[in-house]
Amino acid sequence: MQTRNTKEIYQQLKKARIKILIPLILLTITSYFFFIWIIAFNPIFFGILIFDTNISIGIFLGFLLILLIFLITLIYVYLANKILEPLINKIQTNV
Amino acid sequence: MYKLIFLLGLLISNLLYAGTGDEEPNYTAIIMFILFVGVTLFITYWASKKTHTAKSFYTAGGNITGLQNGLAISGDFMSAASFLGISGLVYLSGFDGLIYSIGFLVGWPIILLLIAEPLRNLGKYSFSDVVSFRLKQKPIRILAACGSLSTVILYLIAQMVGAGKLIEILFGLPYYSAVMIVGGLMISYVTFGGMLATTWVQIIKAVLLLFGATLMALLVLSQFEFNFNQLFSEAVNIHSKGEYIMAPGGLISDPVSAISLGLALMFGTAGLPHILMRFFTVPDAVQARKSVVYATGFIGYFYILTFIIGFGAIVLVSNNPEYLNNSGALIGNNNMAAIHLSHAVGGDILLGFISAVAFATILAVVSGLTLAGASAISHDLYANAFIKGQNNEKIEMKVSKLATIFLGVLAVFLGILFEEQNVAFMVGLAFAIAATTNFPILILSIYWKNLTTRGAVIGGSAGLFIAIFLVILGPVVWVDIFGNNEAIFPYKYPALFSMIVTFVGIWFFSKTDKSKNSINEKKLFESQYFRSQTGVGIDKPNAY
Repeated sequence: MQTRNTKEIYQQLKKARIKILIPLILLTITSYFFFIWIIAFNPIFFGILIFDTNISIGIFLGFLLILLIFLITLIYVYLANKILEPLINKIQTNV
Repeated sequence: MYKLIFLLGLLISNLLYAGTGDEEPNYTAIIMFILFVGVTLFITYWASKKTHTAKSFYTAGGNITGLQNGLAISGDFMSAASFLGISGLVYLSGFDGLIYSIGFLVGWPIILLLIAEPLRNLGKYSFSDVVSFRLKQKPIRILAACGSLSTVILYLIAQMVGAGKLIEILFGLPYYSAVMIVGGLMISYVTFGGMLATTWVQIIKAVLLLFGATLMALLVLSQFEFNFNQLFSEAVNIHSKGEYIMAPGGLISDPVSAISLGLALMFGTAGLPHILMRFFTVPDAVQARKSVVYATGFIGYFYILTFIIGFGAIVLVSNNPEYLNNSGALIGNNNMAAIHLSHAVGGDILLGFISAVAFATILAVVSGLTLAGASAISHDLYANAFIKGQNNEKIEMKVSKLATIFLGVLAVFLGILFEEQNVAFMVGLAFAIAATTNFPILILSIYWKNLTTRGAVIGGSAGLFIAIFLVILGPVVWVDIFGNNEAIFPYKYPALFSMIVTFVGIWFFSKTDKSKNSINEKKLFESQYFRSQTGVGIDKPNAY
């Protein structure tokens, strides 16, 4: 079922996907557990107010984390559509 | 159709009866709500004409677009519990509300990066299709159905009790009739209209809720010249905990609980059957991907709104005697903070609108849950475990409709049974089970070649029992509900321990599995992986 050409593209696809996935997964998990870690070990740090305002570091970073999570999904879909999808399409037409 | 009109009539008479209580009924709420029910029942009627096959019943024919599915997913996620619960938590203790919001949200990149595409490429109607792709049908289907059904039923109880209480306060209806109205409407949406009706009910509600919450947040901010700093400083001045509301408080007290809760929220999201089921409603992996981006965007935006709403309630509601009872607490309970705030910033009309949206939210979420539960019973247990795929679609459809009615009646019954109980822990337990059973077997079946039936069944069920066991022995049930002095298991959240049990169990019993069957299962991995990555061989959507 799989021709030589398909096999090569499939290998390429697997490699490309890992290259995209690993940094994004690491970013998701480390940033989240960093956040949880501070809540667990140093909650007072999150209460410090920043920039002469009444906004605390915790709330600022929390909002930033929500934004980061959304950006991660956006980046993945951009890369997947640009890099992975053409490879997948080639394989689908080959088989 | 006549049944639906009859139901609508019954509902109107019930709501009018509600108006005979002591308090002036909120007509905006009642009119808005009847309008919502009318429109959704009409959609159900339209959907019922298109729902003839099992595929259209479970997946709306696979024709939902990425944007529509993104809205429907965010609708499933933005339950009344998260709208009222998180804004209530922010109202009560400020920053802590953010811990839950972020935990719920961070599951989404995991779903997108690791699960969405393989799930769409390997499954047909439910996530157990994926797990049993190369493993033995019967034991795997039974395990996955147990995981799904326990998640769904726990979640349903929490939603039903919350719904009953909320409607009791908002519309002045007795608790029993409130729970029965929810049960009756949900059964009709799901049995007549299947996934197509459930999806559209969810989309309409998601749009209404996003609109309502945006409006509330804008009205709150307009009172502070659109300056966050001003909102926060006034909240700190008013709140009894003062500046402590800007930092983590009592929600998490030790590192083990922090990590355990973090794991349950992050990976539980990736194991919720009613969410996973939505990925089969889109035509292909491209749309599946897109729907997660939309969903993450909507949900993240929504959580920012609930945070503003919670802080707005601290300033505008917490010292307004109109919303407090004699002892100085909020009328209803803390979960009513958002509802009272809608009245404070928008008068009776906004109160009516937000109340109706909260009711609509409950209806939509319980419908999605019931559909996922019904598919576990009819598709996994009946069609694939017991009659082993010698399937007659018509009979499977009938079984799923009966299962829907059964689950609806069960939900009403349990809702009444648990009226006086504190059910907040049930959502936590549902997430723990999803993270402990559903997520590990799903992710390992997609990515780990050496997973065998024996490993999945032993590891998965061990984790399921441990999770339930630890919650019962923990502070929430053992101390708060059974009234014992000290918990046998000291932590509120079991996920850290139960997930370790599952993963170690699966690893050990798969590795030591030398049966003929297991060799075959490992052989099948390569072709399964090829399909999961490329989508070669998946069904085409129905053409209407």
